[in-house]
Amino acid sequence: MKVGCHASSSIHAPRPRQFGDKMSAVCCCAHCDFLSLGMQDDHRLSTSELEKKYGTSIDKGLSSARAAEILARDGPNALTPPKATPEIVKFLKQMIGGFSILLWIGAAFSWISFGIQLAQGVDSAFDNLYLGVVLALVVILTGIFAYYQEAKSTNIMASFSKMIPQQALVLRDAEKKELPADQLVVGDIVEIKGGDRIPADIRLIFTQGCKVDNSSLTGESEPQSRSCDFTHENPLETRNIAFYSTTCVEGTATGIVINTGDRTIIGRIASLASGVGNEKTPIAIEIEHFVYLVAGVAISIGVLFFIISVSMRYKILDSIIFLIGIIVANVPEGLLATVTVSLSLTAKRMAKKNCLVKNLEAVETLGSTSIICSDKTGTLTQNRMTVAHLWFDNQIYSADTSEDQTTQSFDQSSPSWAALSKIVTLCNRAEFRPGQENLPIMKRVVVGDASETALLKFSEVILGDVMNIRAQNKKVAEIPFNSTNKFQLSIHETDDPHDKRFLLVMKGAPERILERCSTIMINGKEEPLDSEKAEAFQTRGKMLNARAPWGRANPDVLSSFCHLYLPENEFPETFQFDTDSMNFPTSNLCFVGLLSMIDPPRSTVPDAVSKCRSAGIKVIMVTGDHPITAKAIAKSVGIISATSETVEDIAKRLNIPVEQVNRREATAAVVNGMELKEMSAEQLDEILREHAEIVFARTSPQQKLIIVEGCQRQGAVVAVTGDGVNDSPALKKADIGIAMGIAGSDAAKNAADMVLLDDNFASIVTGVEEGRLIFDNLKKTIAYTLTKNIAELCPFLIYIIASIPMPIGTITILFIDLGTDIIPSVALAYEKAESDIMNRRPRNKRRDRLVNEQLAVYSYLQIGIMQSVGAFVTYFTVYAEQGFLPSTLLGVRVDWESNAINDFEDSYGQQWTKYQRTYLQWTGYTAFFVSITIQQVADLIIRKTRRNSIFRQGLFRNKVIWVGIFSQIGIALILTYGLGHVTALNFTPLRFQYWFVAVPFAILIWVYDEIRKLLIRRYPGSWWDKNMYY
Amino acid sequence: MTKETKKPFRQSMAEWRQFIYNPNSGEFLGRTAKSWGLILLFYLVFYGFLAALFTFTMWVMLQTLSSDIPKYRDRISSPGLMISPKPDTALEFYFNKSDSQSYSEYVTTLQNFLESYNDSKQSQNIVCTPGQIFDQSDAAVKKACQFNISQLGQCSGKEDANFGYSKGTPCVLVKMNRIIGLKPEGEPRIECTPKEEGMVNINYFPPNGMMDLMYFPYYGKSLHAHYLQPLVAVQLAISPNGTKEEIAIECKILGSPNLKNQDDRDKFLGRIAFKVLMSE
Repeated sequence: MKVGCHASSSIHAPRPRQFGDKMSAVCCCAHCDFLSLGMQDDHRLSTSELEKKYGTSIDKGLSSARAAEILARDGPNALTPPKATPEIVKFLKQMIGGFSILLWIGAAFSWISFGIQLAQGVDSAFDNLYLGVVLALVVILTGIFAYYQEAKSTNIMASFSKMIPQQALVLRDAEKKELPADQLVVGDIVEIKGGDRIPADIRLIFTQGCKVDNSSLTGESEPQSRSCDFTHENPLETRNIAFYSTTCVEGTATGIVINTGDRTIIGRIASLASGVGNEKTPIAIEIEHFVYLVAGVAISIGVLFFIISVSMRYKILDSIIFLIGIIVANVPEGLLATVTVSLSLTAKRMAKKNCLVKNLEAVETLGSTSIICSDKTGTLTQNRMTVAHLWFDNQIYSADTSEDQTTQSFDQSSPSWAALSKIVTLCNRAEFRPGQENLPIMKRVVVGDASETALLKFSEVILGDVMNIRAQNKKVAEIPFNSTNKFQLSIHETDDPHDKRFLLVMKGAPERILERCSTIMINGKEEPLDSEKAEAFQTRGKMLNARAPWGRANPDVLSSFCHLYLPENEFPETFQFDTDSMNFPTSNLCFVGLLSMIDPPRSTVPDAVSKCRSAGIKVIMVTGDHPITAKAIAKSVGIISATSETVEDIAKRLNIPVEQVNRREATAAVVNGMELKEMSAEQLDEILREHAEIVFARTSPQQKLIIVEGCQRQGAVVAVTGDGVNDSPALKKADIGIAMGIAGSDAAKNAADMVLLDDNFASIVTGVEEGRLIFDNLKKTIAYTLTKNIAELCPFLIYIIASIPMPIGTITILFIDLGTDIIPSVALAYEKAESDIMNRRPRNKRRDRLVNEQLAVYSYLQIGIMQSVGAFVTYFTVYAEQGFLPSTLLGVRVDWESNAINDFEDSYGQQWTKYQRTYLQWTGYTAFFVSITIQQVADLIIRKTRRNSIFRQGLFRNKVIWVGIFSQIGIALILTYGLGHVTALNFTPLRFQYWFVAVPFAILIWVYDEIRKLLIRRYPGSWWDKNMYY
Repeated sequence: MTKETKKPFRQSMAEWRQFIYNPNSGEFLGRTAKSWGLILLFYLVFYGFLAALFTFTMWVMLQTLSSDIPKYRDRISSPGLMISPKPDTALEFYFNKSDSQSYSEYVTTLQNFLESYNDSKQSQNIVCTPGQIFDQSDAAVKKACQFNISQLGQCSGKEDANFGYSKGTPCVLVKMNRIIGLKPEGEPRIECTPKEEGMVNINYFPPNGMMDLMYFPYYGKSLHAHYLQPLVAVQLAISPNGTKEEIAIECKILGSPNLKNQDDRDKFLGRIAFKVLMSE
C-alpha cells in the first residue's frame, strides 16, 4: 500500500498531464518490449537455478541477516513517490501567488517611504515601517495558512492510503512469518492465497489452482491462471510470473521474489507517469480570473489616483503612501484563504458521502461536469453475481438483487423449492471465510468463484447456516466443475437418519444438465421429462434468458440443478465412490430447477442517472463487456432510456437495413470497441454530438482516453471513472479523474483527482451536487467580500480629493479583511441551495464565470457605495459631535496632519494639539470600521440568496451564518473596547450610539436587495434581470 | 484537456476593436446606445437617491447639534501649549541678531499676532476681576475680558519693535489652547526651563508667567466672539557664551492641578519644547 502513500505526497505536485503519447504508448502495449527489456530470464530458469541465482532456499527461505543486507542494498519494496515539488518551493509559491504580489509591492513601498522619511527625520516614519511589516506578515500568514491547508488535505489522502497496510507471508530462517510487504527483498519465498495482493514481482515455483486478476496492470479483468510452467518467451505473457499490485483471485501459490519496488513492472509504468505537466482546474481558472479582475481594478485605481495626487501637487512620497492604501483597500486579503476553507469544508462533506477529493479544486470541477464517462462493473453494478431469477415448478420467480438483502420474498412453500435449495446448498464448493458471523451475509468474504459465491450467499440468506447443513449432509464424493464436462457433481449422505440413501446433486449449464435428465420435478413430484416438457423448459429457459439478456454474453450465469437419490440396495452406506471411474449413475437424473445470476445494478444508480439527466449531465457508459450485456445494463439503469432507440433498433423495427436509417432519429448509440478503432476523430465527434445516450462496449482502457479526448473536444468538462493502471492516462486526461476506492489500483488512485470510497456511481452524483453548491456559495462569498472593498477604498479617494482627515487606516482595513469578515464569508459555504441545483444545466466554462460583470458591478457600484455612504455618515457624525463640522473638514488635510500645528482650531473655536487630532482621527477610524461591520451584517444576510427572498430561504436555517454575525460583532467589540487602548492598532473606545448610525443604511441595503430579487423573480429576462442578477 | 492556445496578436486586437465599437450590433464597449442610456439613467437615479439620502441624514444629524458648543469635549480635556512666533518647520528659531532679515519673519508674525490684542480691538471688552474665574454661564451674551498688551512689558512690541531679537533677548509668546468651558484650578503659570543651565536667562511677562483665571472659561466662537486668550511672554536673555549653540527650552504650565503637563504621547499637552540658535 506504499504506493498510496506516495500518491498522497504528490497530490499537490503538478498533476502529471500531457504525457499522453508516451504513457498511452506504454499502456497500449503493456506487452511491448520496453517493459520486458528489464525483465530477467527468471521465467526460463529452473527452481534450482533460481535458488542459486538469488542465494536462497525454497525450503528455508533467506536468512534474516541476508535479507537485511539485500534490503539495505535495494531499499524497501515500495514505489518511490513521483518526484514531489520540494516543500520549500510549495511554500514559496503560496507566498507569491494570488494577491500576495500586490501586497508585497505595498510592503516594499512602505519600506521605501520609511527609508526616505527616516532620512528626512520625519517622526511618523516608523508608521510606514510597521505598515510594511504588517503587510508582509499578512502575506506570510495567509501563505502559511494556504500551505497548511494543502498539507492537511494531503494528509487526509495519506491517512486513507495507510488504512490498509499490506502484509506478506514470507519464509525466512525456515520459518513462515507475516511481514509488512515493503520489507520484502529479492530472493524471498512468499506464499500467496486467493484474495491476496501480489506483494512483489514473483516467479512462481508452486501453484494450486492459482488465478490472478491482472486488471490493475493490463486492464483485462478476466482472471488468468498461473502455474509454474514456462509458457511464453515474453516474461509478461508467461504463466509462471505474478506481478506486483495484481490480485490473486483464487488458489494458492508459492514463489520467489524477483523484483521489488521500482524495479517491478508496475514501478516502471508508474515512474513513467510522473513528473509531467499540469492542467488547471476550472475553479483555479475562475479564481485566477477573479484575481486578475480585482488586481486590475486595484492597479488602475491606484495608478489613476497616483497621477491625480501628483497632479494635485501632493508630494511623491505621500502619493506612494496613498497608493499603498488603495492597494490594501482593494485587495480582499482574506478571500483566498476563505475560498480554500470553503472548498475544504465541502471536500470534508464529500468525503462523508464517499467522495474523497485529493485536489481541493476538484471539488468544484465535479460541479461543472457535463459528461461522466462511467465504468460499468462495480460502479454502475454491484460487482458481484447475484441470483436474479429462479425457475421451478414451471414458473419463474424473481429474487431480490439489492445490496442489503436479508430475506427473499418469493414463494418458498413448494416441495420442489426444498429440493432445489438443497442442491444449491450442497453442490457448491464456495465457503465463507471464518470469523465473519457478525457481518451481514452480503458483506462476508467468500472463498470461491463468483457464481458459487452468489449461490452460497443466496442459500445462506434463505436457509441460514449453510455450513451446518453441509455438515449434516456429509459429502462423500465430488467432481469439481471443469470446462470439459461443464457440470459439477457431489454425492452426500442425507441429514435424515432414517434415509440411508445417498443423494447425488449436480449443477451445470442447462443444455448439459438437461441431456442427463429423464424426469422433472413439478410440485415435489417427479414427472417424466417428455419432449413437450423439454420444449417448455427450453422456452422458459429462453424467457429467463430474455429477462437477463446479459446472460447471453456469459452463459455460465445460467445454472441448472438436478439430483438423484441413489437406491440404498445398490449403494449401501459403505459404498466407495470413485470419481475417476464414475462408479455411479450420471444420467437419468431428475431435473429440479434453474437459476439465473447477474451482476445487478446498484439500487441507487437508476435514480442517480436520472438525476444526472435532469442536471444536464450526459452519462456515457464505457465497458469492456459485450454490447448486448452493456446495452441491457445501460437500459436497466436508465443510461439508455426506455423510449430511445439505437440505429439498430430502428432498423429492426422498420425492417430496413441499418444504412437506410436516419441516424438523427436515433437518440441512443451502442458503439463497439472494434468500430471505435476504425473511427476518425470527426466520426467520434459526430457520435458524441448526435446521440444523447451512448454506450461504448468492448472497449479497452486506452480507448477510454480517446473517448475522453473526444468529449473534451466538444467543450465538455469530463469526469471519468477508472480502476486499472491502464485507466490512468484517461483519469489524468479527464478534467476530473475518479478512481475506485475499493477496486481501484494505486496507479489509478494516484492519477485521479478524486477517490470514490464506495465505488458507487450515485456518490459521484452527490459529489456533483456538492460541487455545484460550492460554486454558487463561492459566488456569494466573493460578492460579500468584494462589497466592503469599496467602503474601504472610497475613504482614500475622498481623502485625496477632498483633503479631509483620513477616514480609515490601512491597518483598520486589514482588521476588517482578516478579522471581522473571515468567519461570515466561510459561513456562506454552509448555505443551502436556493433551488434544485440538479435541475439546471452544468455551467458553461466560458460564459458562467464565478465572478461576472453583474456581480462586480452590483457589489462595487451599488451595495459598496451604499456602505460607503453609511460609513461616511458615521464618520462625519463623530467629527461633528466633537466639534469639527463637515464644512470645517474639507481641505484641512495638510494642516491637520502637520506635526508643527498644535493649536488647530475646530468649528467652535477650540484648539487641538496634533495628538488630540490624531486620537480623534482614530476614533473616526473606529467609527468607520464599526459602520462597515454593521453594514456587512446586512450584506451577509442579503448574500444568502441571489434570487429568492431571504424569508423563503429562511433566516435561521443556516446556523453558521449566525455564528458569523456574532463573531463579526464580537471581534468588533473586542477591537474597539478591549484593544482600544493599544495605540499601534489605531482603535479607540467608541461611544455606544455610533454603532447604530449605520443601522438605517444596513436596513436599506437589505430592503434594496429584496426589491432587486423581487424584480428579478417577477420579470425574468427583463433588463433588470440581465443587469442585476449575478 | 484542450490546451489554451495563445491568440495571435492581430486577432486579439481585432477583438478589442470589436469590443470598443461593434458596427454590426452598434455596441460600444459591449452595450448598445440604448443599453448605455438605460444603465446611465439607472445610476443617475440610484446615486441621486443616495446623494439625497446622504444629505438628508447629514442634515438631520446637524440639526441635533448646538451651534454654540460641541456635543462632546472629551477628546480635549486638557489644553495644549503653543508659541508664537512659530517657525515653519520644526519649533526651532535660527537667527542672527545683527541681521534683521534673519528674524524679520518672527517679528512680523508677532506683530500680526498682537494685532488682535490692540487696545482699539478691545474696546468692547470689559475689565474683569483678577484672580477669579469669570463665570457668565447665565448671561446670554458673553463678555470678553481685556488683556492689556502692556502686561507683556518688553515683549509687547511697544518698547522694542523688534521684540528683543536685535538685542539677543528674543521674545516668544506662550499661549494655552482654547477649550470651551475649561476652568483652571489653582494659579496657573508658565515656567520655562533651558536644558542646560547658564546659557540663558529667562524673564516672564506678566511676572512669574502668571495666567489670570479671569480669562476663563471660554464660551466658544459664536457666544464669545471677542474672547482673547491670555498670553505669557518669555524673554530669553541669551548669555554671550550661549550663542552659536542650540538652546533647548521647555515651557510647562504649572500651578494648576487640572491642567496636565505630562503625557507620554502628547508632547504638547500643557508643555512645549523649542530650540533657539542665535548667532552674532
